[in-house]
Amino acid sequence: MTQPVPSLADLQVTSEPPESRRGSGAVARAAATVVVALAASLFLLFMLAPVIGLVSAGGARGMGALTRDAELRAALTLTAATATIATLLGVVGGTPVAYLLARRAFRGRALVATLLDLPLVIPHPVAGIALLLVLGRASPLGGALYAAGLRVAGSPTGIVCAMLFVSAPLYVSAAREAFVRVDARYEFVARTLGDSSWRAFRRITLPLSARGLTAAAVVMWARAVSEFGAIVVLTYNPKVASVLSYDRFTSVGLSDALPVAAVLVVFALVPLLALRGLRAAREERESV
Amino acid sequence: MISIDRLTARAGRFTLDDVSFDVPQGAYGVVIGPAGAGKTTLLETIAGAIPASRGRIHLGGEDVTAIPPEQRRLGIVYQHAYLFPHLTVFENVGYGASTPVVAREMAERFGVDGLGDRSVKALSGGERQLVALARALARRPEVLLLDEPFSALDPRNRATARRILRAIYYERRFTVLQVTHDFAEAGLLGDVAIMLDRGRVLQAGNPEQIFRKPASPYVADFLGAENVFAGVARPIKSEGMDWSDGDGDAFVEHAVAFTTGSLTFYALGDAEPGPAHAVIRAEEVALSMDAATSSMRNQFQGRVIELAPAGAITRVTVDVSGTPLVAAVTSRSARELGLAPGVNVVAAFKATAVHLC
Repeated sequence: MTQPVPSLADLQVTSEPPESRRGSGAVARAAATVVVALAASLFLLFMLAPVIGLVSAGGARGMGALTRDAELRAALTLTAATATIATLLGVVGGTPVAYLLARRAFRGRALVATLLDLPLVIPHPVAGIALLLVLGRASPLGGALYAAGLRVAGSPTGIVCAMLFVSAPLYVSAAREAFVRVDARYEFVARTLGDSSWRAFRRITLPLSARGLTAAAVVMWARAVSEFGAIVVLTYNPKVASVLSYDRFTSVGLSDALPVAAVLVVFALVPLLALRGLRAAREERESV
Repeated sequence: MISIDRLTARAGRFTLDDVSFDVPQGAYGVVIGPAGAGKTTLLETIAGAIPASRGRIHLGGEDVTAIPPEQRRLGIVYQHAYLFPHLTVFENVGYGASTPVVAREMAERFGVDGLGDRSVKALSGGERQLVALARALARRPEVLLLDEPFSALDPRNRATARRILRAIYYERRFTVLQVTHDFAEAGLLGDVAIMLDRGRVLQAGNPEQIFRKPASPYVADFLGAENVFAGVARPIKSEGMDWSDGDGDAFVEHAVAFTTGSLTFYALGDAEPGPAHAVIRAEEVALSMDAATSSMRNQFQGRVIELAPAGAITRVTVDVSGTPLVAAVTSRSARELGLAPGVNVVAAFKATAVHLC
């Protein structure tokens, strides 16, 4: 007896699994979806609940305190002013460094970049102690500055130094990325068209990287505003907002710390929204 | 003029190694070579983007090796135009121009004056390249460096860009060094060709000379010579050959027999006895049905194995005693001779058409 020859349809491999396997696969996929959704929801809850809780518990009182609480207003003003000065210093000093790291190949470039990132990963009170060692009155530099009439520790200058030290690496790193994104040949073509290196930088590289540099400065400012650890070691008084909230929490309690903390959260939203706006503008520009 | 003397430069892991050549004042030099040969590195070293670690660069008689790019009085145009994206078309053209009038005139020459206030982001590839050329020339450079500026353009835009550039070049007679990977373009444009590979100059000189007499089988192969044979050369001046017909007796002293496989043919040159390569351009090989009609020194009976028509020219591969020989004939001749695979023909070429290297 001869075997029937299988038709082409019989030989075709189907991508559909058998009924039983299809059923178990669908259940597994549904279970995976539930697990992933649950994990994501819990994560979001964990991240947002404290902030929402803080603003809802202390937001109204915090806004009210802004009109009544002179110490809070002074702390916020001091925070904004010192963070702005630190950011300006970071931009002035960090931009050439970021440019060099982005454009020039030199021996030890990787080492310089790594050392510049170091303040980001060391505990910030440790950064404060390091600064105190160099800038405190007992140190040769701090002593000399004090003798010249510039007190660092325990003054707004100390706050600026602490903010600069811990947040400038963020600026340098982001500014370096902004420069890397601009092809060096644009600048080189400008030089063949008669520009000196400085003029080509000013006319070509700077405008082309302006958004990236602004975003880098905003990130640095936001980080400076939120700094606590290094500042508290170097300059407890006058108090910036973060030190004030800590001070009220430890000296009076949660109820007094809440309005200050809530105002700080609202304060932090400003640079975040500015960053979002900058990114949206860049995406729009790049999609043209 | 461009004078490069033993130039060595490093770009990342790539090294431009001991490069020397000259492009006379007002001449059109063409650098040819495969991808990765170092063509762009060479241009950027001349322009001052990459520092020379050894050797000298002279532009217009002046040693510019150590001076910054903005003082070298040159212009550079890349394949990707590198138009400044934050500036308008006219701002780009006028970027290095001495006056707005010069910029406007150059924009008009390249037909981009109508695009003046538009953002360069809105331009087509062809327009971008025209703006880049106008921008470089508006500065009136003494040396123009071109890095495959036409290769990304469609044939019509390419022809337009080339035509305008040639017209301005003939008017002003600045010195040009253009990079290309296309030898046809080099032959079309260049007074001087520099063949570059892996950072070294393999051969430099008149393009026709390089085309006819490549310095090595590699150069011949890169330049698209179909008939490159490895074999053994043997000078035969003492063997009393009769050279009175075909190639003339003036060359008797330089007669060489070249054997490749089972094939031996005659060449003229100063080859040393021993292993060598022979290059015969396909255009030098004539095909006929009858040996008696040709007076050429080298004549071989063969059989057509392949025809490759390309417009007016047809490349015919003939099997000569097991060795494939390619002839380029007009498509009309191919038809008139009735060439087809399997047809027996006589392939002939002069001894002077054989280049030994």
